[in-house]
Amino acid sequence: MTVIEINNLKKSYHPGKLAVNDVSLSIAKGESLGLVGESGCGKSTLARCLLGVEKVDGGSIIYNERSLANASRKALRDYRRNVQTVFQNPTAALNPKLKIKDSLLDPFLQFQDELQLEHFHFSSKQAFVEQLLETVELPKELGDRYPHELSGGQKQRVTIARAISIEPKLIVLDEPTASLDVLSQGAILELLASLQETLGMSYLFISHDLAAVHQLCQRIAVMKDGEILDVFQRDNIYDNSRHDYTKELISIF
Amino acid sequence: MSVIALSPKKIKKTKIWLISALLVLLLAVVAYTFLYLKHDATMTDVGNRLASPSWEHPMGTDHLGRDVLTRLLLGFRLTVGYSLIALAAAVIIGVPFGLLAGLRGGWLDRVFMRIADGFLAFPDTVIAIVLSGLLGPGIGNLLFAIVLVKWVNYARMVRSTVLTEVQKDYITIARINGLSTFTIMRRHLLPHIIGNVLVLASLDFGKIILLISSLSYIGLGAQPPTPEWGAMLNESRPYFQANPEMMVYPGLAIVVVVLVANVLGDYLRDKFDVKKEVQP
Amino acid sequence: MILSIKDLTVSHGEKTIVDHVSLTIDKGEWFALVGQSGSGKTMLSQAIGQLLGPNLRASGSVNYQESNILACSKTEMNQLRGKAISYIFQDYHGSFTPFLTIQQHMDEYLQTHGVKEKQKRNSMAKEALESVGLDAGFVKRYPFQLSGGQLQRASIALALLLEPDILVADEATTALDSVSAHRILSLLQELQQKTGCAILFITHDWRHVVRYSDKIAVMKDGKIIEVGTKQKLIHQPEHAYTKQLIQAAPTLPLRVREVSKS
Repeated sequence: MTVIEINNLKKSYHPGKLAVNDVSLSIAKGESLGLVGESGCGKSTLARCLLGVEKVDGGSIIYNERSLANASRKALRDYRRNVQTVFQNPTAALNPKLKIKDSLLDPFLQFQDELQLEHFHFSSKQAFVEQLLETVELPKELGDRYPHELSGGQKQRVTIARAISIEPKLIVLDEPTASLDVLSQGAILELLASLQETLGMSYLFISHDLAAVHQLCQRIAVMKDGEILDVFQRDNIYDNSRHDYTKELISIF
Repeated sequence: MSVIALSPKKIKKTKIWLISALLVLLLAVVAYTFLYLKHDATMTDVGNRLASPSWEHPMGTDHLGRDVLTRLLLGFRLTVGYSLIALAAAVIIGVPFGLLAGLRGGWLDRVFMRIADGFLAFPDTVIAIVLSGLLGPGIGNLLFAIVLVKWVNYARMVRSTVLTEVQKDYITIARINGLSTFTIMRRHLLPHIIGNVLVLASLDFGKIILLISSLSYIGLGAQPPTPEWGAMLNESRPYFQANPEMMVYPGLAIVVVVLVANVLGDYLRDKFDVKKEVQP
Repeated sequence: MILSIKDLTVSHGEKTIVDHVSLTIDKGEWFALVGQSGSGKTMLSQAIGQLLGPNLRASGSVNYQESNILACSKTEMNQLRGKAISYIFQDYHGSFTPFLTIQQHMDEYLQTHGVKEKQKRNSMAKEALESVGLDAGFVKRYPFQLSGGQLQRASIALALLLEPDILVADEATTALDSVSAHRILSLLQELQQKTGCAILFITHDWRHVVRYSDKIAVMKDGKIIEVGTKQKLIHQPEHAYTKQLIQAAPTLPLRVREVSKS
């Protein structure tokens, strides 16, 4: 079953130059798709289009058999409830003036009335926050702290907890490990893998790190200059039919 | 702008105590003026004019025989009250305007920025004098002029805070989650703004007291026989050589209150300006 | 042996940041210093060139050509920097003055070290840019007109201009994506073979270490916990922390034929 389908997506910031050029991809339920490319290849723009932060210039994003472009308010709300995100820089992604527990509750409070949680259980705010923190392997006292009291890796766990709190169908991970140190990077990748196992959601994992993508994702797409050059199953990474650019990437790692 | 030159740590401790003590004292004064006043502040007694201090009149009487202490105490209530009203009005108008200009942008923002530039081209005092000169003397007109001058500062500050914060990822994420503009303002932006507004307001508080007093002194604000401090100073001018204390008391009162306001401002700034975003 | 560090300690007030570190770097060697942020690796590298901030104190010795660098005067140090030791940093934007062209940056370096003829300076600058794979025409450009990868190349050209004996690369590729990082590092490797300079390569990315270095030191909490050749550290790491670092770095699985070979 397909969670989301991107058809011939186009986006340009400067006339005549497409940041995302005719990209088509689909993500199945419970699948994690990796999107690899250098900085400036358009992978983050693609993510922003998916998240509805940028308007698309052409093509469509299909969710629940309907295009987002002409979705009703209700359908759009349903889409937002099911597509969450984790960004590269956890410090920027948390409001420095809010306690961790308040940041964590943001999506839940927004969609409270429409949610039917299967894994988590809401009895009180306190208990819910503790449950979330526990799921991302953080001590539950952290709920009462402010972001600047946490390390980078801890903050990224918090943003992950916030993203999974409403049990979305898809999480867009935009370079979630790029600003962390090595040991935290490895730990975050492991956490993401185990969360996917328990919660069964899909990932779109965007990164310039082919090895990290390979570790987490079943399928990998390679992007360059706004275009998708190559899409393959993880196990076929060393196939001879790989695109030359993919081979170049592989040679690096 | 620290008033007392001590080590930072000591200043902090001293400040908290000083502020608490002064605030309690000032509140006590206000309470006293409401609950119990021996004399009527405007009742003249020409037979007893310019009297020396006595048990009956601890600070003596003025040129019309009115009790100076009573006038000073009532003046405190008036001066502080007027300042608070002007301040509250400036904040209430300025903050929402700044939020809207920052979040909406577009023509609203452009129009606002032109207005703000216009106001910034002249010093506050000059605009206030011109405005209350045009509108005519009277405390109401003066307050109106002050609000008109001050709201721009709040709107500008809030706008610039909003402009820096909305670019950050956490606002983007709030938008992705479909939070309404109002919820984003209330939940995510207000906590950034409150601290700054409080600090600016406490510093402005002293300035407004000075502005009211000085404009009343030159006859544009509160009119006699209102026991406003600036007006009292004005009234006591002709008697300065014979009875200098008539001028010293309201002058001292202004100095003390403005000083307290500034110390309070400093304290609030320390309290809210701790750089919380420092990376560990 | 080109550089030998003995009992180097860097402290900030009561706090010890680098704790009695001893290391030797051989001529033409790629020496990797690995550690997490806060391990003290950057402080160690800055102490070598007397680049520490005013609140930091360094003791011990850093010996270069039988003289202790830490005891050098300011003038002696100016002669050493650039010619003996030069640096490239993570923040390549910060390495350039925004209102000077690349040529002007190079001029400054060359003049300090006594290249008087303008003609010679110009040709040296062009040559240096070409050696890092940049167009010679870039000398006229300002830093903001270059991309991140290009700027880091230019900073390498600048650092190698006077053919130093040791190049300290402090997280030089951390701000770049892995593809550009790889290109920069293979360039460095190529230049190292050409010029024979030693590289003190400071990084937190184990994968870069594995690929390029000859010798590896692992640093944690201000101390060197393990030093050895690359082969030794990869295949028989002794310290638990080293093992952790190796494990945390995601790597692609070896190809089937490579597995059968080893």
